[in-house]
Formats: sequence, structure tokens, C-alpha cells
Amino acid sequence: MSRLVLKFESSSLKEVPLGTRPVTIGRAPDNDIQIDNLAVSNYHARVYVEAGSLVVEDLNSLNGSFLNDIRVERAMLKDGDSILIGKHEIQVDQAHDAVLPEDGLRKAPAPRVNETMILDTQERRKLLEMAAAAGERSQLSPERLRVPTLTVASGRTDQKEYRIAGKLTVIGHSKMATVRLRGWFTPEVAAQINKHEDGYYLGRGDRVPKINGVSIQGLTKLNDGDVIEVGRVRLNFLYRE
Amino acid sequence: MRPLLHIEAGARTDLGRVRKNNEDCYSIDPSLQLYVLSDGMGGEAHGEVASQLAVQTILTHCRQAENSRTTPIFGEASPDVSERTNRLASAIHLANRKVFEAAASDPEQEGMGATIVAVWIEGQKLSLAHVGDSRAYLLRAGTMDQLTADHSLVAEKVRVGILTPQEADASELQSVLTRAVGTNNTVEVDTDEQVLLVGDFVLLCSDGLTRMVTDPEIASTLLTSASAQESADRLVDLANENGGVDNVSVIVLHVVEKSEGLLQKLKIWKRHSG
Repeated sequence: MSRLVLKFESSSLKEVPLGTRPVTIGRAPDNDIQIDNLAVSNYHARVYVEAGSLVVEDLNSLNGSFLNDIRVERAMLKDGDSILIGKHEIQVDQAHDAVLPEDGLRKAPAPRVNETMILDTQERRKLLEMAAAAGERSQLSPERLRVPTLTVASGRTDQKEYRIAGKLTVIGHSKMATVRLRGWFTPEVAAQINKHEDGYYLGRGDRVPKINGVSIQGLTKLNDGDVIEVGRVRLNFLYRE
Repeated sequence: MRPLLHIEAGARTDLGRVRKNNEDCYSIDPSLQLYVLSDGMGGEAHGEVASQLAVQTILTHCRQAENSRTTPIFGEASPDVSERTNRLASAIHLANRKVFEAAASDPEQEGMGATIVAVWIEGQKLSLAHVGDSRAYLLRAGTMDQLTADHSLVAEKVRVGILTPQEADASELQSVLTRAVGTNNTVEVDTDEQVLLVGDFVLLCSDGLTRMVTDPEIASTLLTSASAQESADRLVDLANENGGVDNVSVIVLHVVEKSEGLLQKLKIWKRHSG
């Protein structure tokens, strides 16, 4: 399948497959390739297939369309060509087709079960019932009904106790930190706590925090009573009434 | 001093080696620092229609919101997350409505839908929202964590404890989603927030990557590539080398320190003095 690749400063921003329909390029949001830049006209150019050839056509734009650095009104395109519109580049990629394997593999239809599909209503109800049953079990665990808090056991912080609210809790020197650490050489973001569906998870920032004396490896779930160490600060993670 | 962050981005989408249509798509707005990836579903070419409509709607809604404070919020705003995260969720609610309406107005497009994983970055803070089984990962200091929970039948079963992760990996029902954009008149959107640090990698991808390439392979590819774009290209190549049974799409973000030019220093000085 041929495609157009929109690029800015050598990074790809968008890819659009080339089919039977013309691909429009411009600043207005209803273009297939929208470029949000004042140097680009609302409907700037379009690319389409004519008599088996790929063609770019400038739509009387103010600042013009450039094919391989030459301003064009209408021009045939070939693989590897580059259309310049404002500061954005649109690359023509037809070589892409060559990546496809031989016919044998292509003809075989993908197994039905591999097609992404949404769960039908009946199946969904069954799953919800199972989830509800599992939910009831976890309702019994007291954590759900209590407020998570961090109590400062030692170290310099701006408060002695913090209630955790919201999805993101930052521990560090930063202004956006909930738990503000004091002192010199304290990192802006030393660690962070994220709320997930099943509880709270501790992750590293510029420091690797410890839970109960053990350095964490990646996001780690916090349990009631855990002792968190971040640098010289020790915090007690507790679910309170 | 707070480091000035710069996000280096790379992206790629590919048909894979088995499918005839690419139903995946992505779009990046570098000025907004908005990154959106989607995997469409629905017979014929309708998955493509759904994913492209969803992605385009999200970009347009976020751009509008940037320009006008009065842009309406779709869905319910949560007090647990920032205004920006709520805005990203709002964009997905609107995308859901648009895809659902498009599907309802054309019998041929009935049942089409799409996954969405979207990231919006402001300063050091990352807002994340998703629906479906497209994922976001954070690679920090050598450890890679999945930030999203798949909305798929097998993943939900693992979470309630009636399936082991090994059984889930072997299941034939991996492609059955429990949530998607556009298949219902409303949708539940999951959100998350992270603080970014210099050196972090954030990866957004469709399941065509994660079913073909293991987490350690992904992590080592991110760590050994010369640029974010090279990472994206190499990840897609790896998925294809390992079979490429599905469309594969990736967006790779690398957080680097911004070199402070004279102009930026002046701007900072101006901001602090003014």
C-alpha cells in the first residue's frame, strides 16, 4: 500500500494511505493531512491518482507547494519524492509495497479470531457479574473504605502527615510535589505514587525509593503499613479510618 | 533549577505481513505536545474510517480547547486529575460520539470502533488517557512499566483473578475488547498522570507490536537507537520479522534536556522579572 508520510524536522507526524480518494492537505481541520501552521493555506494541495499515476496539485495556495525544492502547480509523483509545504515535508512512499511477502502468505485470510472485536452484550454481562463477585470479595478488604495517608517517620518535610488524593502524588522538592522535601541537593521529583484501580503504586523519580528496606524495581504496589524511604525521609503508608 | 524538558518524537505505522488493510493510525501535534494512536476495528475498510475519525476528532478538540477556554467538556470531569487530563478524556468522549454517530448513520459501517491511547505533555507533566488494548509504557532508568490496563476480555479476567497471565498469552480470545471508542453511545475512559524526567522513554503502541515483540526486546531497542524515529522504525521492523500478523503502530517519545539558547535564557529572565 502506498502512503504519504507527513514529517517535521525528520520526525514522522502522520501517515496516510493512498487509495482511490484524493488526499487533501491544508490548515483546515477537515483535511486528510492537516498542518496547523499559518504559512499553510486552508486547502493547500491535494494528491490523487490519475490514469495510474500519482499527482500532486497545488490549490492556488498563498505560499506554494514544492516538489523536490521546485515550486509546482501540478506534477507527477514517484516513490521517494518529497513535497514541501511551509516547513512540513510530505514524503511519497511506494517502496512500502515491496515489504509485503509473496502472494502465498497474503492470500491467506487472517484467522477470524485475530480480528479485533467488541464483546457482545451477553458475554459482557457475564464478565461484569464475575467482576462484581470478585469486587465483593475485595470490598471486604478494609483498604477500600479508608483514606490512604503518608505519615512522616523521619526526615525534613513541609508537613507531618499527608492525605493522598488524586491520581498522582509527587514526592520531591518541586512546587507540584504533594510531599515537599526540604534540604539542599533534594531532587525536584524524587519519587511518585500513582493511584490505579486496585490500589496505590510507588515509582521512582530521580531517586530509587525503598519499601521496607528493599529498593523497588519498577512500579510497586503499596500495602497498608509499608515504610517508604526516599533519601533520608522515611514515610509510613497507612490506610486510615 | 527545574530542568527544561524537550520531547524528541518518532512514529511509524505499518500494514504488517498478513493483513490487507492498515486499520491503525496515529497523529502527532508537536506544538501542542499531543500524541494520539488508534487501532480500528470493523469489517472491510471501516476500521480505518473509525480510527482516523477518532484521532482527528481528538486533535481538533484539543486544539480548540487550547484556543478557547469555553470549549465544552464532554463526559464527566474527574476531580482526581488535572484540567488537561480531563480535557484529553473529553476529546475521547467526543470521538466516541462521532464514531458512534457515523456508524449509526451508515448500515455498512455498523459496529465499527477503535482503540485510543493518547498522551498530552505540559512542562514536566504527562496526561494519559486510553480505551481498548493499545498501550502506553514508561521506560525509566532501565525498568519498563506498562501504564495502561488493557480493556480486553483476557486482561479483565486476569485482573479479577480467573485467568493467569500465561493462560491469557495463549488465549485465542486476545482480540476481544471490553471497551472501544464508537461501539456504544457512551464510553468509559481511563486516565493517568506521570511526572517526566530526563532520560525517560514513553512508548505508545498497538497490540500488533506487543503480540510480536517481548518487553525486553522493546526496552533494548529503545535504549540502543540513535533517535526516537529510529526506535520507531526498528520496533516495526522487529514486529514484522517476528511474523507481523497484525497492523503495527508505535509512537516513541524520548525526554531529553533542552539546551538553553540565549533566546530562551532571555525569555526565562523576562518571565521572572516581569
